[in-house]
Amino acid sequence: MGGSASHFCNRNMRKKLLIVALAFCLLFSGTALASCKKEKGLQKFSDYSFEFFDTVSTITGYAESREAFDEIASSAFAELQEYHRLYNIYYRYEGMENLRTINDRTDGEHRTVTVDRRIIDLLLYAKELYALTDGNMNIAMGSVLSIWHQYRTEGIDDPENAELPPMERLLAASEHTDIANLVIDEEASTVTLTDPKMTLDVGAIAKGYAVEMVAQSLEKRGISGYCLNVGGNVRTIGKKPDGSGWTVGLEDPLGGDNYIAYLTLTGQSLVTSGSYQRYYLVNGERYHHIIDPETLMPAEGFVAVSILTPHSGQGDGLSTALFCMPLEDGLALVESIPDTEAQWVLPDGTIQTSGGWATYITN
Amino acid sequence: MEHEKGIDTPATPNKKRKLRNDLILIGGVLVIFVLIGLAIWLFRGEGDLVVVEVNGKTWGTYSLFVDRTVEIRTGEDEQELNLLIIKDGKAYVETATCPDGICAAHKPISRQGESIVCLPHKVVITVKRSDTNAPDIVV
Repeated sequence: MGGSASHFCNRNMRKKLLIVALAFCLLFSGTALASCKKEKGLQKFSDYSFEFFDTVSTITGYAESREAFDEIASSAFAELQEYHRLYNIYYRYEGMENLRTINDRTDGEHRTVTVDRRIIDLLLYAKELYALTDGNMNIAMGSVLSIWHQYRTEGIDDPENAELPPMERLLAASEHTDIANLVIDEEASTVTLTDPKMTLDVGAIAKGYAVEMVAQSLEKRGISGYCLNVGGNVRTIGKKPDGSGWTVGLEDPLGGDNYIAYLTLTGQSLVTSGSYQRYYLVNGERYHHIIDPETLMPAEGFVAVSILTPHSGQGDGLSTALFCMPLEDGLALVESIPDTEAQWVLPDGTIQTSGGWATYITN
Repeated sequence: MEHEKGIDTPATPNKKRKLRNDLILIGGVLVIFVLIGLAIWLFRGEGDLVVVEVNGKTWGTYSLFVDRTVEIRTGEDEQELNLLIIKDGKAYVETATCPDGICAAHKPISRQGESIVCLPHKVVITVKRSDTNAPDIVV
């Protein structure tokens, strides 16, 4: 033992040991820095759900621990679920008046239903967007859209016998799409459909509006560094903890290899309406879900329209409206709305953008 | 310190032992370097993954760079199928028993964050890569 101990204390050996120890320090600090430089106490977490708005809902955010993230994510999803139920036109829920129960009220000529304040708010907002988009986003088109929904669902279930809805039926239904017949009494919190054949379809706006409301709830709690993505309806909540924005890659709707845009969001929303998102095939032809109020057929001008704007409900409604409007009209509309930009993808792959779109582009 | 100086005088068996210890030390350091290098290399290889989740739970994880076919069986009695193909660093759904077929119509995915979703089967196929330039969100 004495021998080895004395060796250990040899001067040359000590130098060598020192060098080796230094090398290790460098190596370990280097690898530690490389692997942990982004954490700084906050880690990135993500969770998703299939339960809302017939799509995938993802929440991503930075938190100190999984538990802290889960608490925020589950409260956001719980709130999203309430909106999903209130705004649902296909299902009823025990003890709840929702859009389905409003549409179902066929007793008598007038249908007045007392509803949750959140339904009133959505319908008022939808009326505003109807005016803003000159009727290209019309939630009173339920009678027309329900026919398309029925034919699409049947066509997907039984592709061999898929058919297009007869135009006479669509035209007859379109007689009952006047939004003036949607009467809202804010004080009494009631909704009345004064045309007995009219129904509401909030598919063009409800998801985005719900995402906006959930995002605003999180903001009211002082939460930042989160991002909601409900079926491509993206809403960022503040910046990332390092002060940078959220980068969003927009997939090429025509199947190209590169992102068609690479944007940075710092609290805004980005919503895309695309003909590839929901469709069915009739004799090999694709018929998508965005129905032009003029032609009562799937809108043909674009493959995708993306809207970047602070309010996700506005983004959702505008993306549908612009999908149905000529490019020039849509462009004029977008340029008239502050802090709002748009990108159109035409069927031949041409990309058009509004004036300020480029300011959000990152290379 | 005095004690040290005394020992510093070289002696033949000590010299040999010194040399042997030096060799052990150098060898040991080399081995550690190689191990660390190997670990980094392995970690990089595993950074390029195709992750399959069913109803929110991880169902399978595959290397993006090992060609294979995966039968994603879901539902009661595993009757539902999404046939995942991983080939040439890309992943796509070849066929599926879901009614809408949107997953099979999706183009192949290969970049960090890209995903293919089959709503009817609650299947999410995501590419996970260690790419620092990748966007936070892909839509």
